[in-house]
Amino acid sequence: MRDGRANAVEVRGLTKRFGDFTAVDAVSFDVPRGEIFGFLGPNGSGKTTTIRMLCGTIGPSGGGATVLGHDVVADPESVRRSIGYMSQKFALFEDMTVDENLRFYAGVYGIEGERFAARRRYVLDMADLVGRERELTANLSVGWKQRLALGCATIHEPELLFLDEPTSGVDPTARRQFWELLYDLAETGVTLFVTTHYMDEATHCNRLAFIYNGRLIAIGSPQQIRDEHMTDQILEVEAGDVEGALAWLGERAGVREAYLSGAMLHVNVGERTDPCAVADELRAGGFVVHRCEPVEPTIEDVFVHLVGAQRREAADA
Amino acid sequence: MSLKRIGLLMWKEFTQFKRDPLLLRLVIVMPILQLFMFGYVVGADVRNIPTAIVDADKTPMSRQVAAAFTSSGYFVVTANLADERAIQPLLDRNQIQVAVLIPPGLEADLARGRQVPVEIVVDGSDSKTASVASGYAAQILGSFNRKRVAALGIAGAPGIDPRTRVLFNPSLRAVNAMIPGLVALIMMLSMSAIMSQAVVKERERGTLEQMFVTPITRGEYLIGKVTPYILISFLQVAIIMLVGHYWFQVPFNGSVAVVGLGLLLFMFTALGQGLFISTISRTRQQAQQGTMFILIPTMVLSGFIFPIESMPAAVVPVTYLVPLRYVLVVLRSNWMKGAGLDVLWPQLVAMAVFSAVVFFAALARFRKRLAD
Repeated sequence: MRDGRANAVEVRGLTKRFGDFTAVDAVSFDVPRGEIFGFLGPNGSGKTTTIRMLCGTIGPSGGGATVLGHDVVADPESVRRSIGYMSQKFALFEDMTVDENLRFYAGVYGIEGERFAARRRYVLDMADLVGRERELTANLSVGWKQRLALGCATIHEPELLFLDEPTSGVDPTARRQFWELLYDLAETGVTLFVTTHYMDEATHCNRLAFIYNGRLIAIGSPQQIRDEHMTDQILEVEAGDVEGALAWLGERAGVREAYLSGAMLHVNVGERTDPCAVADELRAGGFVVHRCEPVEPTIEDVFVHLVGAQRREAADA
Repeated sequence: MSLKRIGLLMWKEFTQFKRDPLLLRLVIVMPILQLFMFGYVVGADVRNIPTAIVDADKTPMSRQVAAAFTSSGYFVVTANLADERAIQPLLDRNQIQVAVLIPPGLEADLARGRQVPVEIVVDGSDSKTASVASGYAAQILGSFNRKRVAALGIAGAPGIDPRTRVLFNPSLRAVNAMIPGLVALIMMLSMSAIMSQAVVKERERGTLEQMFVTPITRGEYLIGKVTPYILISFLQVAIIMLVGHYWFQVPFNGSVAVVGLGLLLFMFTALGQGLFISTISRTRQQAQQGTMFILIPTMVLSGFIFPIESMPAAVVPVTYLVPLRYVLVVLRSNWMKGAGLDVLWPQLVAMAVFSAVVFFAALARFRKRLAD
């Protein structure tokens, strides 16, 4: 199966149009083997459409891509045989038992006999489901379902695994545990192609691509992206009336973006050098400010900024 | 195309089917319930009609006439009245639906060989009971007359209807027509309702999407999905035919090959409908509503309940667009009368056209939806 190429995925000018709407617009990038590749973007930006083209379930309107050396247009069957895929819905048969789900997905890839027995044992161990093989999947709680879905998606030991928002709707503890499993997989040499809209998860990735309105607007390691795309100063503000302060800041000149980051306010003040002026302005506006200090921009700050810049560009055009 | 994967999909389908209480009810309970409902309620015999006898003659002969009504089982004499004017209030209060008026001098006039009118008053507000009751009453009087004449030994005596209608039994005929129709209707429901439910459920849960990123092809998926339901519908058809034959005593005078051919052609239409519904429904509720949307006009316009002959002329052309119409003709004519392909070919051709158009259009739509 190994074709000797350094890249697990190579995308060239990939485009998908639905009628007049261009969901994915001439996207090009590579994903080296063994990498955890994060594919980020807001809802409706074209993430899922791109993944579906790369999995060979829908055909592109233009451009092309190879996945593990197989052409997604000419040979989607080979692509589907060699990849794994897991979506946010987990796609387990809820009215079948743990064992029946494993048996089905193994059978689909032609895994039988001793190899099935070994893979089954491995997945049950990994998902912490030993002793619950005969339980209906519907009765499992979400963390177990998620791990079983991962087990089903990797039952044939694919070299490349697509994960489409695998952690959405899962509590933070389960998300952390799930990422541990993904690291384990990556260590065995599996390439992971992950979409997420949790920006904190972006830091788990070796490399990131950010897609917005169907176009790729940034790609690189988290550090590269920060260095290349972020020259603005970010202030972290702890205020009394967070909502009120947010609305007030949104209308200030000299504030590029203001948004919530956890319980804090993040304020992008562009290239202003007098950060604490904002705190004074807020106080003058009648708000209680507990703390205001410049911080190193997070990946989330970078992407909020990138989206903001795109919006301003679109508005100017 | 891998037979192994198709087998796996079928195994999966049956496993899920076993565990789905809704589908299980639909498949097993629904045909039996409908069979008994339509067999007994719609095709029911009208019996024990409350009846008043107004005997103005009061002779042995007039009492024999009254007794003929009672012994038939269709009428129950709830009132013996002396005066005709007492009928109206009883009819108004729904205490009787029929009154039999025996005129004075019945015995004497009959003895003289005269024609004697016996008046039957029927409450026409329930047209079905009214027509059945007047039919029964005419039969009872006719048969009474015949026996009397035979006893007298006079052939061709006046006032006798020579036409034999003793064997005519409207209730039996209704069931005989109902059961073959039910076979087709239930097949349509299983194939389109259950099929669309099963596909939509899979889309709702995301398993449909998942399957198409595995080596499973669309063709394998469709065959693996449809085959279990075809087998299930065969089982349903067998249940209905057996219960119809042994419980409702519906005679089978036709050929299994003709009935089978008719059902096979119809099955593809029903499958097409189910697939089509699944492509326009996002939830199982929508699929259910989609099924109802097709079911009701089908039941009303196909001749399943109301004879097409009795429909207004403007409606009749519409009935040609209802696929169930054709299979009903095939099933009923072959089942009861043994009509063969020489007579039924126009219906079979119409059904072949329908199944080809509906099935392939739905298939194309289904494949397109999967591709987007």
